[in-house]
Amino acid sequence: MASKSTTITTKVMSAIMVTSITVLLFTCAAFITYEFVSFRSTMARSLETRADILAANATAAVAFRNELDARELLASLRKDPHIVDACLYDKDGRVFATYPETAPPASFPTRPPRQGYAFESSHLVIFQPVVQEDRWLGTLYVRSDLLAINERYRLYAILVLSILGGSILLAFALSNSLQKRISKPILDLAAVVRQISERREYSARAEKRSDDELGFLTDAFNDMLAQIQQRDGSLRDSEARMKAILDSALDGVITMDHDGRISAFNPAAERLFGHARSTAVGAVLADLIIPPTLRERHSSGVARYLATMQSTVLDKRLELTAMRSDGFEFPAEVTITRISQEGPPTFTGFIRDITERKRAEKEIRELNDQLEQRVIERTAELEASNRELEAFSSAVSHDLRAPLRSIDGFSKALLDDGREILDPQCQGHLTRIRAASQRMGLLIDDLLNLSRLSRTEMRRETVDLTSLARQITAELKQTQLDRDVIVTIEDGLIVEGDTHLLRVALENLLGNAWKYTSKHPTARIELVRANTGAEHVYLVRDDGAGFDMAHAALLFRPFQRLHRQTEFEGTGVGLATVQRIIHRHGGRLWAEGTVDAGAAFYFTLWDREPA
Amino acid sequence: MNDKTILLVEDNPDDEALTLRAFASSNLVNEVVVVRDGQEALDYLLGTGPFASRDTRIQPQIVLLDLNLPKVNGIDVLKRIRADARTLTLPVVILTSSTQERDRLAAYRGFANSYIRKPVDFDQFTAAVQQLGLYWLVLNQPPPTATTGF
Repeated sequence: MASKSTTITTKVMSAIMVTSITVLLFTCAAFITYEFVSFRSTMARSLETRADILAANATAAVAFRNELDARELLASLRKDPHIVDACLYDKDGRVFATYPETAPPASFPTRPPRQGYAFESSHLVIFQPVVQEDRWLGTLYVRSDLLAINERYRLYAILVLSILGGSILLAFALSNSLQKRISKPILDLAAVVRQISERREYSARAEKRSDDELGFLTDAFNDMLAQIQQRDGSLRDSEARMKAILDSALDGVITMDHDGRISAFNPAAERLFGHARSTAVGAVLADLIIPPTLRERHSSGVARYLATMQSTVLDKRLELTAMRSDGFEFPAEVTITRISQEGPPTFTGFIRDITERKRAEKEIRELNDQLEQRVIERTAELEASNRELEAFSSAVSHDLRAPLRSIDGFSKALLDDGREILDPQCQGHLTRIRAASQRMGLLIDDLLNLSRLSRTEMRRETVDLTSLARQITAELKQTQLDRDVIVTIEDGLIVEGDTHLLRVALENLLGNAWKYTSKHPTARIELVRANTGAEHVYLVRDDGAGFDMAHAALLFRPFQRLHRQTEFEGTGVGLATVQRIIHRHGGRLWAEGTVDAGAAFYFTLWDREPA
Repeated sequence: MNDKTILLVEDNPDDEALTLRAFASSNLVNEVVVVRDGQEALDYLLGTGPFASRDTRIQPQIVLLDLNLPKVNGIDVLKRIRADARTLTLPVVILTSSTQERDRLAAYRGFANSYIRKPVDFDQFTAAVQQLGLYWLVLNQPPPTATTGF
């Protein structure tokens, strides 16, 4: 830097010096040239003047060829030491007087021109005509040396050199102080730059010294510095934040370059793997944290990615096995992301120890298995209790009926075999025994059917109630062809439900209607749909025996009857059965009746989803 | 008609007596062999145990099989009958008190030929036995004898 700054100073100074010296030299050269030319002409004129005066004085001497006077005249030239020699020519061009007197006439030029001067190599020669009243008498010849010029030259040389020397010194001094005005701000700027580049102190500022381009440069530089300082600050902030995030992250964050070496290793990773950051950074990732059995897969995976730039593992949650510094292997959830999208790729992995989660999952799985096992057990228990119920039903069905059959059968046998010996009263008793046992058989059957209703699986299908009801009433008519019953079944009663169960329900309702109108000579039985709002209500109505509404609540209880057995046969299970079927269809069942004026049974379906 | 025997498998002596009485009142003269449990029924049909000396080529015309039987129950007896070549085609009529769907299903799955429920009313019972005898002993054509058939 020092040499450079010197160079700037030197450059500025040498520019000034070269300029000023060149100007000076040109000036001096012009001056000397001018002086040289003007001095020669001055010298020539001065010698001419002197020769002119001498020639005028020599007129008489020449006219009269008075050699003595002529010599004396010429001798006056002695006062000027530069006059080398002189002579006078007569009008024939012959030398008749010389100066000095001893100078041989032959040393003077023959045939002199009438007038003129000439600079010879080291002399100035003048020919001056000697004239009297326009009559040319002869010629004066004077030769002077040029020592005066040489002296003048020497003087000039000394003068020029001293001026030049002084000027150079002055120029140097001036330029030295003036160049500082240019180089100082530049050097200051350079110093600031050096300081910044050496110490990274972006807070430093260059001092502005002027409002010229350098000032502008300084301002621009300072402005740039301010921006850099700001960006440096935000970069530092951002880096600090990033570091804080990485440091406080609960997941291990590890960055790997394309060579597979670790370039970043956060504290969580240190805790997770038991490696210090200092040892981890620079180490080969695979050797450090991947179990030996999986390294081959890892390296081939990385190689494949680098070759094809296609990966099945990037940016996904993976469950892998990782290895701690003590060789212990643990399950880890790993997400790998490629960081730099240009140039050789680096990869960052986010790693989480999922041992606990795995354990919890296992626990949940086990609990689930236990639960399933328990469900299986409970189901088995339920099935067992169902089986028990079945066994009970079977037992009731079989074992209770068998004695009844014996009672009835042997009563009959007694009636047949003892016809001769039994009186009518005894036969009547036996008949009663038989009736009672047969009735009990019916009760048992109805009871079993009722319990079966609750157990059988229900299907949900489209059921044509109209068609069902018509079949049932047709069958009823077949049992008693002599009865006068008007049956009205509404068309198009299509519902959802279990065909078999709904048939049983209708059989009971229509069968009841048929039964309880049997005491009337004519009867009406109806099945219609009444709409109350959005709800469909189905209605089975007859004009038969009816019932007292005071007892309506008893209607649907099993084995509960509102009529005597001698009036209308029955077990009292029918309406209980209907109610159970309607309930299984998510509906309601209710009844209205008037004694001897008929009964009406209303039901709905699917008010709610069945339990 | 005399060579056409009926095998009645019935553990309840009352039912046995009533059934025999019903047969008698129906004027059926065929011999009715009565066995009192499932094992005895199998012994008779397959010629084992006390019936080891019986010629099993001669099989009853019809077996009336109760379901609730001691030792081997009716469904298992049926399965054993159908599993043996000598009795594979033997007509078996289930005659029981039960109307359990499960029993009915098991009987038909075991290839019972018929399923008849004993009514409590003895008049109805007599009528049922009469029809049964008429149908299986007179009307129905039995399979060719087991020895020639298989």
